Amino acid sequence: MAIDIQPEKVKGPGGREPGASRPARPWWLRPAIHTAVAGAVIGYVVGHWLGNFLGSNYQQLPLSDSSDLPIVLGYLLAVVGWIAGLGVFNDPLRQMTGRPVPVEEEDASAAAGLARYFRYSLDHKVVGIQYLVGMIIYFCTAGLFAMAIRAELLSPAYHIFSSSTYVELVGEHGTMMMMLMSSLVVGPFGNYLVPIMIGSKRVAFPRIEALSFWLTPAAFLILFSSLMLGGFPFGWTGYAPLSIQATQGADSYAVAFGLMGISIILAGFNIIVTVICYRAPGMRWSRLPMFVWSMLATSVLMVLAAPVLVGGMYMIITDRTVQTAFFADQLGGSSYLYQNLFWFFGHPEVYILALPGFGIVSEIIPVFCRKPLFGYKTAAAGMIGVTVLSFFVWQHHLFDSGLNPDMRPLFMLTTELISIPTGLIYLVAMGTFWKAKIRFTVPMLFALGMYFNFLIGGISGVFLSDVPADTTEHGSFFVMAHFHYTIMGGLIFAFMAGVYYWLPKMMGIKLNQTIGKIHFWTMFIFFNSTFLPLFAVGLAGQPRRVFEYASNLQTINDWVSISAFCLGGSILIFVINFVWSTVIAREREEGNPWQSRGLEWQVASPPPPGNFARIPVVLSGPYEYGTPGAPPVADLNPPAGVVAAAFTGAPTAAAEA
Amino acid sequence: MTQTSAEPAGLSPEAEEAGFYHEAALNATWTGARLAMGALSFGFGAFVFAYFYLRSLNSHGRWYPSTLTGPHLWAGTLIMGLIVVSAAVQTAVLQRIKAGHKTAWQRGALVALVLGLAAVGLQIWELLNLPFFPGAAGFASVFTGFYPVYLVIALMAMIWLEMLIMRCRPIAEISFVEQPPTFVEAFAVQRFQAALSAFTVVWNYLAATAVVAWVLFYLVH
Amino acid sequence: MSAAADAAPPPAAPAAPAGPNHGLRIFLLWLPLAVIADLVIWIVWGPHLPPGTMSSSAANQQFDIKVMAVLAAPVMIFVLTYFGYALIVWRQRDGDTEDGPALHGNSRVQASWITITSVIVLFLAVFGTVELKIANGAGAGEGPSPIWKPGGAPLQVQVIGQQWKFTYRYPQFGGFETTQLVLPEGQWVAFHVTSLDVIHSFWAYQLGVKADANPGVDNVAYTKPEHTGGFVVRCSELCGLWHGAMFDYGRVVSMSAFRTWAASTRVQLAAVTRILPPYATTYDPTVVPQINKAMAKAGIGGANGYYYPPQDPVQP
Repeated sequence: MAIDIQPEKVKGPGGREPGASRPARPWWLRPAIHTAVAGAVIGYVVGHWLGNFLGSNYQQLPLSDSSDLPIVLGYLLAVVGWIAGLGVFNDPLRQMTGRPVPVEEEDASAAAGLARYFRYSLDHKVVGIQYLVGMIIYFCTAGLFAMAIRAELLSPAYHIFSSSTYVELVGEHGTMMMMLMSSLVVGPFGNYLVPIMIGSKRVAFPRIEALSFWLTPAAFLILFSSLMLGGFPFGWTGYAPLSIQATQGADSYAVAFGLMGISIILAGFNIIVTVICYRAPGMRWSRLPMFVWSMLATSVLMVLAAPVLVGGMYMIITDRTVQTAFFADQLGGSSYLYQNLFWFFGHPEVYILALPGFGIVSEIIPVFCRKPLFGYKTAAAGMIGVTVLSFFVWQHHLFDSGLNPDMRPLFMLTTELISIPTGLIYLVAMGTFWKAKIRFTVPMLFALGMYFNFLIGGISGVFLSDVPADTTEHGSFFVMAHFHYTIMGGLIFAFMAGVYYWLPKMMGIKLNQTIGKIHFWTMFIFFNSTFLPLFAVGLAGQPRRVFEYASNLQTINDWVSISAFCLGGSILIFVINFVWSTVIAREREEGNPWQSRGLEWQVASPPPPGNFARIPVVLSGPYEYGTPGAPPVADLNPPAGVVAAAFTGAPTAAAEA
Repeated sequence: MTQTSAEPAGLSPEAEEAGFYHEAALNATWTGARLAMGALSFGFGAFVFAYFYLRSLNSHGRWYPSTLTGPHLWAGTLIMGLIVVSAAVQTAVLQRIKAGHKTAWQRGALVALVLGLAAVGLQIWELLNLPFFPGAAGFASVFTGFYPVYLVIALMAMIWLEMLIMRCRPIAEISFVEQPPTFVEAFAVQRFQAALSAFTVVWNYLAATAVVAWVLFYLVH
Repeated sequence: MSAAADAAPPPAAPAAPAGPNHGLRIFLLWLPLAVIADLVIWIVWGPHLPPGTMSSSAANQQFDIKVMAVLAAPVMIFVLTYFGYALIVWRQRDGDTEDGPALHGNSRVQASWITITSVIVLFLAVFGTVELKIANGAGAGEGPSPIWKPGGAPLQVQVIGQQWKFTYRYPQFGGFETTQLVLPEGQWVAFHVTSLDVIHSFWAYQLGVKADANPGVDNVAYTKPEHTGGFVVRCSELCGLWHGAMFDYGRVVSMSAFRTWAASTRVQLAAVTRILPPYATTYDPTVVPQINKAMAKAGIGGANGYYYPPQDPVQP
């Protein structure tokens, strides 16, 4: 292979000749958020007209709503217009017509200041920041709905909202939290940090990654717009006869949730391939940071479970528009079909929400315990175990539904089995704390809070897995308290730990630690004060999603509501801290404030374009604290030939072509 | 590095990195295609589950009532056949391009593309001329629900094939026979080959799905 | 309790020979706390744990919750004691910038942890299955063909969910339909739960019965009321606008009182029963408008068997 070696820069996927930089267009013609909005508006109008046109002579089943087709087609074409406006289709169209595809990383306008965050950016660090800000906005919006719910529940009989407004609020809160928070960690931290943590300069599929983000505002806005159509009265689960019966707000629910399903498939797809194929030389599986393991496990769940959700949402849409009868019992369908499809996704979904939290805390505690992670392989095995088992437990949501009573012992067993790998996460934490030198930094406090909350959440889950006990607890506030402990107490606390830990890395800015501690203590106290009593409320017989309850439960409900408002105030402290630290104070944080061995901390903050000057060669694991002679985690400037040795001679896909 | 004739020590750092990410991209194409098939399997699985669930439940005797006129067998068979032949043609001409015959592949791929698009077109026609109402029965629902999804995915696969045909055009025929003189050209060829392999696997997978769906919806309902 | 007590050795294992024996200290902190907590749960809380002992299934659920609480408390207390101890004893002291010891793992600790958690989990699974069988399905809806059922001839009560109320039919008493749920004491009851529109869930809280009401499905749940008194029925599956207002109250009365009530109600509602469709395990909701029309024609008002009384809120 005597070939000339030309130091030409390799191009992005597509393999086209590097095109000359595109002629500069005026800013308002460059694809960005404003063109996306224009595209969405045009798309909606066209889709609405098309729906009316197609649906005008369509045979309708009795009691069905005839105006769903224009809404659904309007939404779908609005999404197409939205992503077309962002320029998502430009490169595929160039490929289809045989024109050269420009190398995006070199696109001059891509690097331009704040504006790049409003564009279809192919830089994984930009996507990470977009996700971070987006997720905080979605979380706060959905949190405000929760405040409204708690306001209504201040009194058992006196109503602030009408019953229709109340179910709208319940539905919006639940759906927005469950669907958008799926990407709470994978989006910001996964996209931003995974490539850096595995020593890569790029991700495998930057276009897919960017598209996955830009679908989230579309899903958010569509779900929000449901309020203009009268909302949807069936919570986040969308059980079928009700979701078929409901008015047009249900179309928003199905389209938004399906869209978000596609978004998480794309996000997970990119992460998996990146971790498998783009690890730096020396980054063996046994040196992968725990956070990357958790992202990998979460992504597998996303890629495999979310297609079933998309299928279920699609069936709701066809039942509502073209009048199929998937879920109509009298016409050969079954409402159980929806429950099965939904929970086949829905249970992996709750682990999509739990695993990233495990990953973040497992990543953080060795740093602040100044000790290696105890039982690295056990921790990885725990995450893999949760991933695999989570596909086999979904019918525990249907213990009272009348479905497959003979399968109950089996699903009881699988559900309880899942506590073994989950327990391993605790074993790892406890082993790491053994004789440690614990530093009480803000991220560490949040990690500890996560372990405390998730313990309660996990143990209460065991109560729910037992069929007799579940008969009383199912569908009550007990379940509601349980999953708020695992998701809010687990994921959100871990997310906060991640924000305080990694924001100096991602923005080069230090978050105020004093306000951070106030934030932690208020959030921890008011979180527990809100949700711990709800276990008792549930056991005392209050079902979920009600707006009238037994009058003897008013005192405890009022306590919960007031705590919930204080919890909201605590989140407000976080938002203030976030905005004040990143926008106003902008206190620089250089270097490695936590003395972490993580590879991401070995580069500048924020990392330069391309993350690393040279491909690093990983020399040892990320948790070698306390070993005096431990080699550095990576050689950031490896000698010539080392990187080449990692790939030449290795089998390539091209060898098969 | 010992078993190849390449001399990595002679590479500049830039070339080293380019080679590293080139190989990562090839592997990513391979991995991505398999992962996409996994995700698609779960997506199709939702419909297969619906099919068998509703069939075994036969709620109110309306899985496939005797009054229901089934879909046109000839249309379904033709659509399935077109897709299978398209995948077979693509697989056959893949061997030709591996042997260095670029134009043979281009002709074959064009045939595969036309067959695939014909199948998509026919499928649209069939869905617009169904002999039953979508909500008439459980079977009718699953049929009306599944085929539009399959149609869109097959159409996307055909767009991918069209991109590959366009990508192949500027590559010199000789590049498929021997290593091109520069890294850039060699990388372009290898990436094209990797994408082509990935496409062929996915398209064969979709053809197998079409056969399974045909059996379920036209033969055994 | 015994399984949980074994959970103590793992942290003790990596203790270094020098210095205090942390494992023993944690164990000694944990043991009294765990014992006290379990005694409190079993003796003080136990008899008052929901859902009470009004019926066989309620008592069974109370027992399950009690057993699991007794198992869970030592585990939770162990983890919390451990963390509390660690945070106090192993916190970083001022001026100490050293790293901790480089412990990468301890296969004995990990193996014993996995063994102990597996034993607890398997015990819980077997326990749950046995309890499910003993309690004849534990009051949970078992679908149209229940596999765990009581012997003899239970009282059949059909529960019909609709937006937003429950009505009850008594097929063994001529199939009359009423909004009152009255049950006899000491007699097995089979609830046949179905729905006319969307999914509801029939939750008789004090009876420990919960069964989803699916349209077109006959979901059977068993219980045996053991004490007389009132109980609450709530819908526990979100069913639309007035889900929160979908509740009523039932009564458990003595067998003779029940017979009297059933006989008199049967006579009282005879006119309504004639118009209603004959008793069946499921109903076709499309006949509801005709029934309402027939009811109006017969001049029958009030709540007796009305499917959609005019005072109900309109559909969403």
